[in-house]
Parts: sequence; C-alpha cells; structure tokens
Amino acid sequence: MSIILIGMNHKTAPLNIRERLSISCEDNDALKVIKSISQVREAMYIATCNRVEVLASVEDVEKGLEKLKTFIFSHGNLSRGEMKECLYVYRDVDAVRHLFRVASSLDSLVMGEPQILGQVKDAYRHSVEQKASGIILNKLLHRTFHVAKRIRTETGIANNAVSVSFAAVGLAKKIFGNLRDKTVLLIGAGEMSELAARHLLNNGVNRIIFANRTYENAVRLANDFHGVPVGFDLLEDKLKEVDIVISSTGAPGYIVSEEMIVKALHRHKNRLMFIIDIAVPRDVDPAVEEIDNVYLYNIDNLQEIVDENLRSRIEEAEKAEAIISEEIISFTNWLNTLEVVPTIVSLKRKSEKVIERELEKSLSWMRNLTEGEREKIRILASSIVNKILHDPITSLKEESQNSGADPYLAAVIRLFRLEKGE
Amino acid sequence: MDILFFKIAFLAYFLSTIGYIASILVRRVVIAKTSTWILFSAFAIHTIYITFRWVKTGYNPVTNLHESLSFIAWVISGSYLAFQMKTKTRILGSFVSPLAFMLMIVASAGLGKVVSIPVILQGWWVAIHTILSLAGESLFALACMAGIMYLIQDNLIKKKKSYRFSRLLPPLGDLDRINHICVLWGFPLLTLGIIAGSIWARTVWGSRWQCDPKQVCTVISWFLYAFLLHQRLAIGWKGKKAAVLSIFAFVILLFAVVGVETFFVTMHSF
Repeated sequence: MSIILIGMNHKTAPLNIRERLSISCEDNDALKVIKSISQVREAMYIATCNRVEVLASVEDVEKGLEKLKTFIFSHGNLSRGEMKECLYVYRDVDAVRHLFRVASSLDSLVMGEPQILGQVKDAYRHSVEQKASGIILNKLLHRTFHVAKRIRTETGIANNAVSVSFAAVGLAKKIFGNLRDKTVLLIGAGEMSELAARHLLNNGVNRIIFANRTYENAVRLANDFHGVPVGFDLLEDKLKEVDIVISSTGAPGYIVSEEMIVKALHRHKNRLMFIIDIAVPRDVDPAVEEIDNVYLYNIDNLQEIVDENLRSRIEEAEKAEAIISEEIISFTNWLNTLEVVPTIVSLKRKSEKVIERELEKSLSWMRNLTEGEREKIRILASSIVNKILHDPITSLKEESQNSGADPYLAAVIRLFRLEKGE
Repeated sequence: MDILFFKIAFLAYFLSTIGYIASILVRRVVIAKTSTWILFSAFAIHTIYITFRWVKTGYNPVTNLHESLSFIAWVISGSYLAFQMKTKTRILGSFVSPLAFMLMIVASAGLGKVVSIPVILQGWWVAIHTILSLAGESLFALACMAGIMYLIQDNLIKKKKSYRFSRLLPPLGDLDRINHICVLWGFPLLTLGIIAGSIWARTVWGSRWQCDPKQVCTVISWFLYAFLLHQRLAIGWKGKKAAVLSIFAFVILLFAVVGVETFFVTMHSF
C-alpha cells in the first residue's frame, strides 16, 4: 500500500493546459473514473484555478501510477510529451509533504492565502461522499487539516496584508485602533479605491462619503456601498468630517492642498487623519505630510509595505516547513504501524479464543463457585494473557516505526501459528 | 507572613517580565497572554501584601521608600490591567511589567524593616497625602509611557519605515486614549493629594505653603497637567502635542519626587 500524488500546478504548467484538464475533469466526474482504476484503493481529486491534483492510495505503485497518468493524459486531450513536462509525481513521504504544503498554502501563488484550505476540504468532502476515501486518506486528510491550522496559528504566514488595499486597511487600524466610528472620504473612482472601501466597510467603518467630479458617478458608487454622494464643490467642506481619505482621481494636479487639510483639522479638533493617495499623478500635496497628526501614504509607500510583508511571509514559510517535517514523522509513524495492525489483531483474537476455550473446559468444577468468583477467575486469566502479550505487541509497534517489522511479523505469525486474516 | 506575599508577588512580577520580553522576541501571543495572567496574579498577591501591611502598621500603608515603591508598582500594574481589559494593548505590558519589577527590586531592599515613623509623619492627613499623590504620580508615569510609545509609533508611521516594529506597538488611537485617561484620573488624585498635604503642612509647619523646591516643582508640573487637560477637553488637542506635553510634565514631576533632594535643600525630604 502506497500513497501517490500526481498533478500539476501554476509553477509547472501554463494556464491553458491546467484549464483544459480541470474543465474536462469537471464534466465527467473525475473521481468516479479514478476510483474505477483497479489499482486505486482510495482517491481524492483537487482542482482549483492554480492546480489539478490526484491523491491516491494504491496497491502497486508502478501499475497504479501508469494508469493514473494514462487517465490524466486522456482527460487533458494532450500529447504525452506536452503533459510529461508539466506533471509531477510524489510518492509516500513526498506525497504527504506536498499535500501538507498545499493545504498550508506554502505552494500557493500568493503564499499564505486562505482559500486553498477550504478547497482541499471540499475535495476531501467530495471524496468521502463518493466513498472514495478509506482509512489512509481519512487519517491523512485530518492530519493535513491539523497541520494547516497549526501553521496558520503558530507562524505568521497568513499575517500582514499582501495587497495594496489590505495594506491600507492595516495602516488605518494601526493609526485608529478601532475603525467603528470612523468616516471615510473616497475621492474619485477606481478599482483599487473601491476595493479599499470595501475592506474598510468589512472592518466596521461607519460611513463612506463619495466625492466625484461627475456627480452621477458619486451617486452610483454611493448606492453600491450605502454611502453618501457629494460633488467636488463640497469636497473641502466634507474633509472636516472624515478620518480617512482615499484619493484616486485622474486629475493632473493636486486636488487636496495643505491648506485644506490644516483648515479641516482645525475644525476637526486636531483629530488624527489618514490620507491614502493612490492616484498617479498624485492628488494630495506631499507637503500635507508635514502636518502633525496627519499620515499620508501614496501608492509607492503602500507597495513597499506589501513587498516587506511578502518577504516576511517567506521567512515564516521556513518555520512552516519545520512544522511540516515534524508532522510528517508522526504521520509516517502511524502509517508504518498500519502494517503490523492486522497481525496484532489476530494475535489478540487468538489469545481470546484460548481463554474462552479453557474457561469452558473448567466450567465443570467452577460450578461450585459463586458468580463473583467466576468473574474474578475470568479477569485473572485475561490479565495474565494481556501481560504476556504486552511486550511483544509493543516491540512490534516499535519495530514498525523504524520500518524493520517484517522479520518480526513473520516470526510472530510462525511462532503463534497465526493464519493470515484470522 | 506579609513578607512571604511580597516575595511571591516579586517572583510573579519577575516571571511576567520574562514572559513579556520573550513574547516580543519570539512574537507569540500565547506567551504574552500567559504573562498578562501572571501579572494579574502578581497584582492580586501584591494587593494582599499591601492590605497586610496596612493592617499591621495601623493607619498608613505608605510611609517609607520601600512602601512607596511597592505602592507605585501596584498602582501601575493595576491600571495597566484595567486598560488591558478595555483595549487590546498587550504590548504596553512589556513596558509596565519590567517597570513594576524594577520598582519591586528597589523596594525589596527595605523589605521587612520596621521603621519607626517620626511623629511629624503620623496622622491621617499624611496617609491621604501620600496615597493620593503616589497614585496620581503612578498614573502620570503610565501616561508618560503611553506618550513615549505614541511618539515612537507616530514616528514609525510618518517615516514609513520598520513596519515590523510598528506592528508590535499598539495603534495610535489606543495610546492616545490611554494617555488621556491616565492624565484625566491622575490629575484629581494629585490635586487632592496636594490639598491634603497642604492641610497637614499647616498643622505641622504652621503654613500651607513653604516655597520649598519640592513643592514648587510639583506645582509647576501640576499646572502643566492642568494646561494639558484644558487643551484636550476644551481645544480638542490630540496625539503628538498631548503626548509631548505629558512626557515633559512627568519629567518635572519626577524631578520633584526624586531629583530635588540631590540639588536643593528641602524640608520635604521624604
């Protein structure tokens, strides 16, 4: 019994190949086909926009692998040569490591992104529903979810924003602490500023005011976000009410001057103000930065934060790899004990039978005893047997951890005359 | 018996200090959370110790250096723990806990000594004067610490550098609020402390005001705090200016409490 993992991801295969494979697999339930392969005992199929992978436990590695490859080639509608370049194959420990890394988002395009774990969980659920999972995959996947959770909580892999709009929200929190009673002014429109507005709303911002040169645009945005629309004529007036300003207009010159901010702050009782200028050319006079209690960030500043956060994620990834190595040991230990389990079970069953038979034989003289006394004798008999079997069973398990259990297994089977599958 | 409590509290302060420092080094929240609980138990045991002392000495729990320092450590930790419950400012603990621990180290020098209190320092007014003044001063110390952290954080965010370090510090808004609340509560305490002191000074020295350097310094810093509160409440000062002023006022107050004796002759040398 071996675990194999075969697949391709954003690093090994170009989009058009991944696309063809994942679409064709969606059409005709891939898992059913994989399950019907005679070598495959258990299987799971993961398809996301960045990867297509098959995880399986097979009886014969070579044969199983060959058949799985054939399956993928035929489904991708691609030449063998084309596919071979993109395909990776992992076996046993490597397969486990790869799965752990995928679920912990170490193998993702944006390292630390949270979606992949949910996708792996969905794939596993699907496998369970199709009755394609068994003892090994069940244990492996539960272990995987545990590892992913550990990495998420014990390392900083998922900390710190790695997109400009999230970085802006992070900064706002660093300045104000709680965003609940804060008001945001969004000047102009644009994908990035709308995204930032959405994140700010999700983080509890109280109110968003939309200012636009074309009033209709402001109204449209305000409707989308349940905000307040204003024209540019009221811009200066509205600055007094707000804590966070996001500006992204296409204007050639500065829209927000130093004087406007000083005035706004004066009326604003010197509150803190966070200004995000993501427009190029800039909307906000850089001199604003010199004012006390005002924090001005432009697109480059935010990008720097993102870059630094990405670097720190890479550092955190090293810690995550260490956790994975640790978990792999404990999983392979479990996997190895799997081979001695049937023998241990039959050994125990045999000894139980012996006890049963001997007690039956002694029934004639035990008849004189009370029920309680007979029960005591029964307990005594089984505890003697258990004591005797305890050491050999422990040793078998220990040997299996070092994958050297085979000769001992053979010896136990021979010495105790165990029949296979007893 | 009471000495045992002091020793246990001392140990707990030590452990929480180690914990807070470790939590910064390895950046694990679990350790910081544990440290907060240890600090909490240190505070609880410390409370028992102070109560014991109070009962033992009769009327005044704060008469000598040992007691003053231990009392300051107690107020600072207590206020921090109160803030911890309200705001997520665990990092402040890694400033407060070592400070409390250091105060306890110095305080432990006078541990167990039974000082015969001079007649001049006996009476309810002395007790009220010292307790209120020290409590107010401790809160101002906390305000000063929050102010320093505010300036560091402000600088980091303005300069757009070292995001990693800035992440460790609490948000500016929270620091500003801590600074404000500490001054807001510390001010009436110190005010009442000064009034109690002057009432007692009249009975002992015959006049409410002696123009003693210590008194002058304290009153200067009291005016600075009064000005700060006025600016905050009436003008709406926030952030940097308030932080700077609270630090400056505390430096003068600190000089009044511990520094004056080295430079001037003062009749208030305790």
